[in-house]
Amino acid sequence: MKIRTLTLSAVAAMAIAPSAHAERGSSGHVNIIYWQAPSTLNPYLSGGTKELESSSLVLEPLARYNEKGAMVPWLAESVPTVENGGVSADLTTITWKLKPGLKWSDDTPVTSADVVFSWKYCTHPEGGCAQNEKYNDVKSVEALDDLTVKVTFGLSKPFPYGPFVGAQSPILQAKQFADCLGAKAPECTEANFGPIGTGPFTVKEFRPNDVISFEANQNYRDPAKPAFATATLKGGGEATAAARSVLETGEFDYAWNMQLAPDVIKAMEAKGKGKVVAAFGTLVERIMINFTNPAPGLGAERATAKHPHPILSDITVRKALSMAIDRKLLVEIGYGSAGRPTCNVLPAPEIYKSSANNACLVQDVEGAKKLLEETGWKAGADGVRAKDGMRLSLLYQTSTNAVRQDFQALIKQWWKEIGVEIELRNIDASVFFGSDPGSPDTFQKFFADVEMYANNFDGTDPEAYMSNWSCKQAPRPETQWQGNNMPRYCSKEYDGLVAEMATTGDLNERARLAKAMNDKLMQDYAILPLVDRGRVSAHSNTLGGVVLNTWDSELWNVADWFRKK
Amino acid sequence: MAELRQNPLVEIEGLKVHFPIHAGVFRRHIGDVKAVDDVSLQIYEGETLGLVGESGCGKSTVGRAVIRLYELTDGHIKIDGRDISHAGADELRPMRPAMQMIFQDPQASLNPRMTVSAIIGEPLDEHQSLSPSERIARIYELMDQVGLNRSFANRYPHEFSGGQRQRIGIARALALNPKFIVCDEPIAALDVSIQAQVVNLLEELQKKFGLTYLFISHDLSMIRHIADRVAVMYLGKIVELAPRDDLYADPAHPYTQALLSAVPEPDPEHEAKRQHIILEGDVPSPSNPPQGCNFCTRCPKAMDICHEIEPSFHAVGDGRYAACHLLEDR
Amino acid sequence: MFNYTIRRSLLAVPTLLLISLIIFLLLDLAPSDPTANLPLTIPPEVREKIRQSLGLGDPIYIRYILWCKQFFINEPLNILEHIFGWQIGGDRLRVLSWQTRSPVVDLIVQRLPQTLWVVGLSYVLGIVIAVPIGVISAYRQYSWFDQIGTFISMVGFSVPTFFTGVLLIVIFSVWLGWFPSIYDTTHQVTDWSSFLVQVKQMIMPVSVLALFNAAQISRYMRASMLDNLNQDYVRTARAKGVRERIVVLVHVLRNSLIPVTTVIALGVPQVFGGAIITEQVFKVNGLGQLLIIAIQGGDVPVVQTLTFIFALLIVLFNLIADVLYGVLDPRIRYD
Ligand SMILES: Nc1ncnc2c1ncn2[C@@H]1O[C@H](COP(=O)(O)OP(=O)(O)O)[C@@H](O)[C@H]1O
Ligand SMILES: [Mg+2]
Repeated sequence: MKIRTLTLSAVAAMAIAPSAHAERGSSGHVNIIYWQAPSTLNPYLSGGTKELESSSLVLEPLARYNEKGAMVPWLAESVPTVENGGVSADLTTITWKLKPGLKWSDDTPVTSADVVFSWKYCTHPEGGCAQNEKYNDVKSVEALDDLTVKVTFGLSKPFPYGPFVGAQSPILQAKQFADCLGAKAPECTEANFGPIGTGPFTVKEFRPNDVISFEANQNYRDPAKPAFATATLKGGGEATAAARSVLETGEFDYAWNMQLAPDVIKAMEAKGKGKVVAAFGTLVERIMINFTNPAPGLGAERATAKHPHPILSDITVRKALSMAIDRKLLVEIGYGSAGRPTCNVLPAPEIYKSSANNACLVQDVEGAKKLLEETGWKAGADGVRAKDGMRLSLLYQTSTNAVRQDFQALIKQWWKEIGVEIELRNIDASVFFGSDPGSPDTFQKFFADVEMYANNFDGTDPEAYMSNWSCKQAPRPETQWQGNNMPRYCSKEYDGLVAEMATTGDLNERARLAKAMNDKLMQDYAILPLVDRGRVSAHSNTLGGVVLNTWDSELWNVADWFRKK
Repeated sequence: MAELRQNPLVEIEGLKVHFPIHAGVFRRHIGDVKAVDDVSLQIYEGETLGLVGESGCGKSTVGRAVIRLYELTDGHIKIDGRDISHAGADELRPMRPAMQMIFQDPQASLNPRMTVSAIIGEPLDEHQSLSPSERIARIYELMDQVGLNRSFANRYPHEFSGGQRQRIGIARALALNPKFIVCDEPIAALDVSIQAQVVNLLEELQKKFGLTYLFISHDLSMIRHIADRVAVMYLGKIVELAPRDDLYADPAHPYTQALLSAVPEPDPEHEAKRQHIILEGDVPSPSNPPQGCNFCTRCPKAMDICHEIEPSFHAVGDGRYAACHLLEDR
Repeated sequence: MFNYTIRRSLLAVPTLLLISLIIFLLLDLAPSDPTANLPLTIPPEVREKIRQSLGLGDPIYIRYILWCKQFFINEPLNILEHIFGWQIGGDRLRVLSWQTRSPVVDLIVQRLPQTLWVVGLSYVLGIVIAVPIGVISAYRQYSWFDQIGTFISMVGFSVPTFFTGVLLIVIFSVWLGWFPSIYDTTHQVTDWSSFLVQVKQMIMPVSVLALFNAAQISRYMRASMLDNLNQDYVRTARAKGVRERIVVLVHVLRNSLIPVTTVIALGVPQVFGGAIITEQVFKVNGLGQLLIIAIQGGDVPVVQTLTFIFALLIVLFNLIADVLYGVLDPRIRYD
């Protein structure tokens, strides 16, 4: 029921959105710049944001998320729910109905066979499909008739909107990719570089890691759209240059993801050529606490549950570390309008957002000192606190990145004030986030006391994300150091909440559980959230119709974009 | 004999060539190398004037300045009656054929990327307008004159021996029928066995074409063999100038005496009587010559006056000149 | 000379094979993961599957032999087919990029035009500027011309291109709006006005690089001219009464160009290497940018193939430099 109202309101919102022009192609040409260049247009072969978003001009899913995180039907007639009978009562099947009369850009009809094929394509065991997770637990996808598809799950799926929803799992044309299954996938260069789609644009030329030229899709379902006859998506360079090309020189109309210092953006915006737009999703910059002892002396048992952390097992230390941080200042220095302070690891969508932890928004150095003092952490001659001969000295690691190094320096200073000695370390992102099990420097191995990075989840449903901190998700030698529970946090109570959510279908009930999990993590100080990071993009003053969306592709509504007169 | 040839081809008067010394970040001018400092000479038509002196005393600079390969700091040079002291490049070029130079290092003085015929032919192209066949005929003729096999015409300098290379250099110098040739140590870089051949060639050509030579060398025996008159240089100045036989029989200047005392005598009787004068100390720097006589710091006969007043270059006998206070009232 | 060239070429074959092996081993040792740049939302199992599909599960010697086969046999056969329209047939797997899943050689071919245009032109321009500057600087050593030339080449040499590039963009794109700040690789020159557009978008990257190249080459030129100007053969030429212009431009310049030619020839592989930073600054997206993106993305086949091609070019141009030296300088003889 909830989903339906969300859907309806979204449809209503779209109806009143200003789409001023009535003729396809009347707005001419639009220039889009992505400072990371797309390397393929097949989103199944690359999980990168740049590939997902650039291909979203061409390939479309059955339903997608709007800017509020609500699901809207796209190629489907409506979003199936239990109420409308689209989702079975036992939550094991979902039945989608395609809009009638849909055409591929090559003028052939879109049928349920294409939907079934897309599932087969991504789940082929040798294909290395980057979006495999979207099809988790899917037992079968069948075409009931030309326009109807039934997805059956192997278990009861309270949130059955993984397959075919959002930019990550669009529909491929079965005819085009028929010979590209499994190991053959990478050999189909022509198809991967020029997929036939249903979206507002078709690929005219694709130059990998450089530029894409698009033309309006003459078979697009709305005869009045897109307003632009052609589009260019240029890739490469860095964020500053991309921002400059929109805000200062006006060569481009839209620039994606301006990860820039706040003052730089302000100065550029002052030129008056374009606007900066921000939107917030679930991306949170956070500090992870290591609950296990990373001392090198422990050999193979280093950073495993066998050895609890000698300092950080003490909750008062974790709490004091959190209290000493001035999150507002971090936002101001690092993100400006692209960030806001947060005390939750799950900051959105609105229904999942807890307000129980907001105390952390105010820095309290004195309180932190007092707390440590009271629990027996006494300052030594050098100002560093110690207890039972254990010095309060920590190794703080993160990836190499200017903003992160600024944060490290600031936080080191604050922690020094409360008597904690910090050693800083930064590791190249490709190593830090790499999953080479042989490397000691990955964020999963976590051979440090605290580490900082940002993470989020796809779509709007937090279930999988929140289950990251269950005991069994801890990276350890037995799992080849795979797993998402970096803190190696382990709580029976928390695992119980995870299990409960896995069997709960009601949305309100799910929201209550998610909030409880978030609060448990926050109040145990297992994760110290710092900044809720938004997406910041820029568009020219003459480009109309832009609605920034963090829940789906930023270019999700490119069909509605138009040139302002 | 000298009196008979009172027809000077080259007249040098008060020649000074100073090279500026720069130093520091802004390359300020902090002094000069006085490579040639007030030299006056005359070279008579058809004679060979030998110029001797230790290495670094300024012989080459004189030689190059005479044919205006250097700008003069001061003084005058007349060749064949024409003052070329300050002639510009365009004015000099038509006069180049008359005055030529043979260099010490036959390897370095030949452009490595030009063939023998190109080297010899270039001055012909520059100053005469010959047809291709005339040109090649002239090149062959010159090669014959210096004893080079015609078949070598298209070879490069590095393919020849030192003596042959010097022959190329001579052929090149002869190409335009010069009157006056500066031979700057033309044999110093050659094997002893070859030296005589080249010297004989030079003498032969002199006879044949009536050439006038300024023959520069540090080898007193060679000068004795070839020169008619000899000028002795020390630290940028001529200290003595005399007809050859007079100079060798009776050197007037203490420096000449010291130089000659070091030359072995062919006659064993004389050789036994010969007494060595060993000069003490080093040659002073030409950028900072001593006050008074340039030779005073090393002169075995130096007097007080030598340290104060520079001796003038004056006649000390029949066609003989020297710069020494000892000889002033002789 | 001919025998020498043949002998050197034959010797290059094992050298290059060894180089390719070393590159391969180094890349394998380097901690890089082609899935590292994917969003964290992609779970590790999926990443592992992606790596398997890229062939990372095979032992290293298999991967090396496969690459050798693909690069040394399959790709040349492909090129032959392409040029002569033959049908050699057979199912040949080409060297595939991990990021784009497309043949590396095609990527390189696609990048080559803009790199050759921008970097190559700047190299040619750099030489054209550098030679006269070097000649005049040396001929008028310590004159104001020489001092300014020295200063400019010092600036050109020491100020990084990412600085000069951005400076030019700010001045000419942002303030004056004369030139585009972003290079359009899809632009086609079809007529006069599109040619002007092409010239406009090339001006800034080309001049930044040309300044850098000219700075370097003019220094070599100057030094070499100075060496030669003091040689006796120059004095000989003057004594011959040769015009000064000919003395300098024929005698001195020709001899001075010998070492400079070598330096220029040895610099050519850099042209193909692209100008990583300048390409990045102006979004020229040539070979340099291809390499840097491949390195960042852990795209080993692209890095391997590109580095190997650079190695090949370096070996080739070393040989060319040596042969040129022999051709230009009659004193050098190889046999
Ligand atoms: N081009 C020059 N610049 C500066 N100093 C020079 C130059 N040529 C010669 N000299 C200096 O002038 C002095 C005389 O040199 P040079 O005439 O070559 O002597 P010599 O030929 O007698 O050996 C030496 O001290 C030499 O260093
Ligand atoms: Mg000399």
